[in-house]
Amino acid sequence: MPQTKETQTEKAQTENPSRDQILQRIRAGLRTAVLEPAATASDRIIFAPIDNPLERFQHECVSNLMECALTADSAASARRLAEVLQSLPEGEIFAQDDPSLRRLVELAAPGRSIRWSSQGAPAEASQATVTLAEALIAQTGSILVTASCGGRGASVIAPCHIVYAKIAQLVPDLATALSRISQERILDHNSFACVISGSSRTADIEKILVQGAHGPRRLVVILQTGT
Amino acid sequence: MSTTAAQKFLQDAAVKSADLMHREVIRRGMESYDAAHLKGRARINDWEAARQKCQEIKREAINHLDRYLLQFEEKITARGGHVFWAANSEEACTYVKDLATRRGVRTVVKSKSMVTEEIHLGPALEKAGIKVWETDFGEFIVQLREEGPYHIVTPAMHLLRGQIATLFQEKLGQKIESDDPAYLMAVARRVLRQAFFSAEMGISGANFLVADAGVIAISTNEGNGRLCTSVPRIHVVVTGIEKVIPRLEDLAVLWPVLATSGTGQGITTYGTLIGGPRRPSEADGPEEFHVVLVDNGRSQLLADAEQREVLHCIRCGACLNICPVFRHVGGHTYGTTYPGPIGSVLTPHLNGIKEFKHLSYASSLCGACTSVCPVKIDLHHHLLQNRRNATEAGATKSSERLMFRAWRNAMLHPSIYALGGWSMRKALRIVYGLGLAGSILDPMRVWNRYRSPVPLPSESFRARWRKDRAAN
Repeated sequence: MPQTKETQTEKAQTENPSRDQILQRIRAGLRTAVLEPAATASDRIIFAPIDNPLERFQHECVSNLMECALTADSAASARRLAEVLQSLPEGEIFAQDDPSLRRLVELAAPGRSIRWSSQGAPAEASQATVTLAEALIAQTGSILVTASCGGRGASVIAPCHIVYAKIAQLVPDLATALSRISQERILDHNSFACVISGSSRTADIEKILVQGAHGPRRLVVILQTGT
Repeated sequence: MSTTAAQKFLQDAAVKSADLMHREVIRRGMESYDAAHLKGRARINDWEAARQKCQEIKREAINHLDRYLLQFEEKITARGGHVFWAANSEEACTYVKDLATRRGVRTVVKSKSMVTEEIHLGPALEKAGIKVWETDFGEFIVQLREEGPYHIVTPAMHLLRGQIATLFQEKLGQKIESDDPAYLMAVARRVLRQAFFSAEMGISGANFLVADAGVIAISTNEGNGRLCTSVPRIHVVVTGIEKVIPRLEDLAVLWPVLATSGTGQGITTYGTLIGGPRRPSEADGPEEFHVVLVDNGRSQLLADAEQREVLHCIRCGACLNICPVFRHVGGHTYGTTYPGPIGSVLTPHLNGIKEFKHLSYASSLCGACTSVCPVKIDLHHHLLQNRRNATEAGATKSSERLMFRAWRNAMLHPSIYALGGWSMRKALRIVYGLGLAGSILDPMRVWNRYRSPVPLPSESFRARWRKDRAAN
C-alpha cells in the first residue's frame, strides 16, 4: 500500500524532540538504588487448577451473561445457528469469510442478505455477526478473536455476535491462551486481538448492571463437540 | 484574594461530608463494590500471591523502563505505527492537535483515559474547533455536566438515575421517558453511535503496554473502547510511560487482578490487544496508529528511592473505594485528576509539593489503601513521606514551625509541659464555662466545631499517676 509507505516516511522526518531527553531522565533516575525485597511469589498457586475445562467454560459463560450451545456435529451447529438468526430482526448479517462458515451460514440462513468479511467492515446496521474464534478459554469463559476472525468490528458492531467453535479449541486458562499467542506470533500477523468475556455491559449508573452497552447485547457460542 | 488548593479542599470537604444525600449515594455504591470485590477475591486461589506477582511484574518493568519502552517502540514502528514521546502535557496535546488538523479531523470519539484528563486533551482539541465525544457512559455523563470524573473507574458514581434523566432531557434535546438505567444507556448508545461512525479519529488510553509483543492492552466493559479503536480512520493512544509490562503472559495475572480490584469481575469484558494499523489483508481497522507516551513528571519519580513504586499503579481505584476519607469527601473535593490515596501520593509529584501537600494530611494513616492495593504500593507510608518532604522543603507555614518548636521544648522540659497542661485546663474551663466551645475563641475549635467537647480532667495525668501509685 503506497499510502502507508508515504506516512511512514513522513514519520521518519517527524521531530520527536523529547525522546532522547526522556530516555536520559529515565536512565538517570534508574541509577538511584532502591531497596527491594526478593521475589517470592513464584512457587505459589495463584489460580486453582481446572479439572474439567468444558464444565468450567459453561459455568463461566453463565456468569458472563453469554450463551453457550453444545452441538454434536456441523448439521446440528447449522440448525442452532438458524434458530439464533431466526430470533433476530430482519436485516443484513455479517460473516467472516471462511470456507467452514460459508457452508454453515448458507445452510442456516438461505436467502438472507449476508455481507462477507472479504467485502470489508460490517455495516453499522448489521443485525448479527458470525465469526470463528482463535481459542476458547475455560478459566474466564472467554473467546479469543483476532483480526483474522472477520476484522475488528466483527465482534462489536452488531447487537448479536455468534461464534462458531470446536471443542478442540478450548484451552484451560488465560496463561495457555496468551502463551499460544506469543509462540504462534499471532500478533505479528494480526493488528488486533481480543479476549471477550461476555456481552457488553455497564454499571455506571448507581452500580446497576445493564447488559448491552455499545457492543453486542447477545454473545452466543456454538460449541461443536463432534465433527 | 484567591483561595489556595488547600483552602478549597477544606471548604469543599466540609460541605460534602455534611451532604447526607451524597453520603447515601456513595454508601450504596461502595457497598455494592465491596460485596463484588470480596466475591471476586474469593475466586482467586491465593490472592496474596497474586498481588505479589503483580508487584514483581511491575517492579521488573519499572526498573528496566528504558529497555522495555524501546522494545515496545521498535515493534510498533516496524508495523507502521507511530510512537511520540511527550515530555509534558503541552507536547502531548500539541502532537494530537496538529495531527488532527493535518488530517482534517472534525470529530473525535474518546474512550476513557485518565492520562487524557491529566493533560487536558479534550479542552485542547475543542479549542482547536474539534468536536470531542466522551463515549464511556460515565464519562459521557460528566462531560454533559461539564465536570471532571468523580472516580477514576466509575466517573459518574455520585449521581442518581433521576439526575441523569434530567441531564439528558436538558442537554440532548430529546424527550426522556424513564430513569431506568437500561433505557438511559440505550439513549446514550443511539447518540454516540452516530459519533462513532462519523468521527475521523478515535482516542483511547492503554491499561498496559506489552513490551515483548509490542501491543497496547485496553480493558473495557461497554465496547465503546472497541468502537473507538475499530471504526475511525485514525487511532491515537495516549498513555503514561509507566504502563509498560515485560511480557504478554503477564496479563494472565494482571487482567484478572485489575478486574477484581476495579469492579469485582473475574475479568473485564473486552481485553483488547492492538499492535498497529490495519494490515492490508484485514477487513477493517484504522489506517493510522499513533501512541503518545506521556512523561509529565513520571521519570522524576524513578529517582525517588522511597517512592519509585508509585509508578507501579495500575489505576484500579481500589484505594479510593476503601478510603474512609474518599467515602466522606468524595472525588471532586480533591481538586485533582487522580483523587483518593493514590492521587494524594501522586499529585504532589506531578503538580508540586507546595500546593498539594495538604492532600497528605487528608488521611488517618489507617492503611486500608495499602491493604487492598493489588500491586502492593505502600500508600500510607508514602503519605507520611510526603508530609516529611514538604516540611524539609520548607513548604510549611512559619506559625506551624513555631508551634512545633514550642511543642518540642515542652516535650524536653517536664516543668514547661506541666505548666502548659495546667494553663490549658484552666483556659478551656473558662471558655467552655462561658459556652464558647467551638467558637473562634476556643483553642480546640477545630475539634469542637462539629463535636461536643471532651470533658476536662480535674488534674493532670501525672498527678493522677502519683496518687494511684501512692494508694497501692
